[in-house]
Amino acid sequence: MGIELIIPILAATIQSGTPILYATLGEMLTERSGILNLGVEGMMIIGAFFAFLVSYLTGNPWLAFVCAGVCAGLLGLLHAVVCLVFQGNQVVSGLALTILGVGLADFLGTGYVGITAPGFSPFEVPLLSSIPMLGDIFFKQDALVYLSYFLPFLFWLFMNRTRWGLALGAAGENPAACFAAGLNPVKLRWAGIFFGGLLCGLGGAYLSLAYTHLWTNNMTAGRGWIAVALVIFAFWRPGRAMFGAYLFGGIMAFQLRLQAVGATLPSSLLLMLPYALTVIVLLFSSARGKGRQAPAALGVNIEPGE
Amino acid sequence: MAEYVNKRTNRGAFADQAPFVRLQGISKHFGKVRANHEITLDIRPGMIKALLGENGAGKSTLMSILSGRFQQTSGDIFVDGVNTTFTSPKDAIKAGIGMVYQHFMLVESMTVAQNVLLGQEKGFLVNPKTQEKKVAELAEQYGLPIDPSAVVSTLSMGEKQRVEILKLLYRDSRVLILDEPTAVLTPAETEQLFEAMWRMADQGKSLVFISHKLKEVMAVADEVAILRKGEVVDEFREADVPNETVLANRMVGRDVELALDAQPVELGATVLDVANLDGDGLEDIQLSLRKGEIVAIAGVAGNGQKELVEVICGLRKPVKGDVAILGLDWHDFYPRPPRKGRSLAYIPEDRQGLATCKFVDLVDNFLLTTRHSFTSGPFLNRSKAIDTTVEIVEQFNVQPGHIDADARSLSGGNLQKLVIGREFFRQPDIIVAENPTQGLDISATEEVWQRLLEVRNRAGILLITSELNEALQLADRIAVMYRGRIIDLFPKTDTKKVDAIGLMMAGVTPE
Repeated sequence: MGIELIIPILAATIQSGTPILYATLGEMLTERSGILNLGVEGMMIIGAFFAFLVSYLTGNPWLAFVCAGVCAGLLGLLHAVVCLVFQGNQVVSGLALTILGVGLADFLGTGYVGITAPGFSPFEVPLLSSIPMLGDIFFKQDALVYLSYFLPFLFWLFMNRTRWGLALGAAGENPAACFAAGLNPVKLRWAGIFFGGLLCGLGGAYLSLAYTHLWTNNMTAGRGWIAVALVIFAFWRPGRAMFGAYLFGGIMAFQLRLQAVGATLPSSLLLMLPYALTVIVLLFSSARGKGRQAPAALGVNIEPGE
Repeated sequence: MAEYVNKRTNRGAFADQAPFVRLQGISKHFGKVRANHEITLDIRPGMIKALLGENGAGKSTLMSILSGRFQQTSGDIFVDGVNTTFTSPKDAIKAGIGMVYQHFMLVESMTVAQNVLLGQEKGFLVNPKTQEKKVAELAEQYGLPIDPSAVVSTLSMGEKQRVEILKLLYRDSRVLILDEPTAVLTPAETEQLFEAMWRMADQGKSLVFISHKLKEVMAVADEVAILRKGEVVDEFREADVPNETVLANRMVGRDVELALDAQPVELGATVLDVANLDGDGLEDIQLSLRKGEIVAIAGVAGNGQKELVEVICGLRKPVKGDVAILGLDWHDFYPRPPRKGRSLAYIPEDRQGLATCKFVDLVDNFLLTTRHSFTSGPFLNRSKAIDTTVEIVEQFNVQPGHIDADARSLSGGNLQKLVIGREFFRQPDIIVAENPTQGLDISATEEVWQRLLEVRNRAGILLITSELNEALQLADRIAVMYRGRIIDLFPKTDTKKVDAIGLMMAGVTPE
């Protein structure tokens, strides 16, 4: 395979990896606050739908992008009500959220399938795009991709160098200690769920605003689940999340190319690749060690009166 | 045990100042249970006040009210003479009252400085360097040595406790409540803590020291208040603090024998033989146990006792070395160990988690390890099990004696008596008892000790304890563990070595 073939695949890798990166960071934020939200897929697709809808109605993709995040965040708040108000089971609630989100998006979007809406198109970053190879891969993308380059660093900065990030992390590690320090871990978890959901929604929005410029059913196609797996793969660290997201983006882009050039392998086998990789990745990352642990209070509800 | 010398230099400097906090007629009810009743206490600057009482006497409840975790049912809290209501720990912290909990409230994955400053930072961005500098200065002022950049999960228990204290000091707390602070410390760390306490009191802080260890209370406290059944039954000021025996009597409301007279019994066959055991943090363990003796393994928790117990009890495979149980090699004894008669019984430290099931009744809890005595083929003779449980409950004085009650409704002491009754019923030849009296009050402790001494006639007992006194009271021989090794193993009659146990627990081998 020549270089002229590899560079488009790598550029497509970035594009495929971007929605997963947004969603992975979203789920990571929620999990760092101590809440497991398996509703990523649902929040993503709601984000994708409302991004399309707002863009279709207003013609303003930036407004659509923001609205998608807010809508997904609001959907996530359902999970917050179950987990934080009623101390319900986080796994069950998250699964229900996925089913609800996917169903709702299908239902609301029935009349819009195949319709296009304005979105983001690639543009070249001056100077940077003229770097040989790297420029073609990284700097001939759309605005949402450029935004996503900064996200892992901002995430790290927020969690480790800001007052609120440290407080949020404390709510995920030891809510009792957080409470004893005069903070309110329940409020922090509300925030973790909302803003995590918001990021998932932005990931969904990428699919209907940049990856394609239209709405179809089941747009997310399991990317939400990949994001959930990637959080574990990344050991809850944003830098590794970026690596993981592009790894999956790469597999997705690669199998599309293989299909396009008419490889003799059955297409369903190729389509399966990313999900098979998910299983393998989870197998490998089950070797836990120092600095790789999940937030200590992940999935543990805060009982009132404690 | 080492005697502590009170090193306060500035005692009484604040004697004429008004109390920081006055608790007036505080009562607290949980449903029908009366945890605190009409308690009145003054907490004065520059004073170390000990709150002495058995488990369940209401010490922790009272201090949880003072630190804003619970709200009182009735009564008033005056801070600087002003009637104040606390609705959360935040309010109490603002008023200058903070608590060092028995179970540390620390975020393990964060650094010392981050923990100290959690919830205290102003502004948006925080700078680790400035944080660490602030904490280092504070630590210096009060003599609490610590590395501010260390991640909390790498610290020892003593260091974690210092972080907790620093958290309070950083919040300008004037009243520091320490809940059983020495339970997790080595003798040396305990002494260090006491010195820090004296230094804080000398600088005008009020300290409340919750404990049921009389020696420590005698050593460190300026004032002593004794709680019993939710009420303050006695309060002593500086000079009037009486001796230990009087305090103990007031605490339990009847005379207790703090010292037992354990006479040695005739030794039988060797039941347990551990040779050259290595791995899992253990190093070259040599240990043997004969019928008729109690061998105590003393040491601060976390020095390999848990791993050793797990190997002996079949929860963990020995990595290297020989373990012979009742004459059989470990690999032949497990995985199908005999359930009764010539068998091994384990009384775990974790009574609620490992030894019993919280949500099932006493009969099923009794059957957990004794099932084999009540089966014929695939069937269980439950009515016989019920009768036996009733007998055991009676014989071992388990209160309240309803066998259909859930295990969680029993207090720690009564649950422990049930577990002991259950394990003794199996008539084992080896009993491994892990901190069997931890968290028990004096009378329950005494009962448990008596039971263990009685059963010596027909079994060898391996007693793992972090209470030196327990080892000294019960054991025929004492082994001291430090960092996975048995530092020394000697009979209790070797007074010279017994005197050096404290040092050995800290890893110092005496000449």
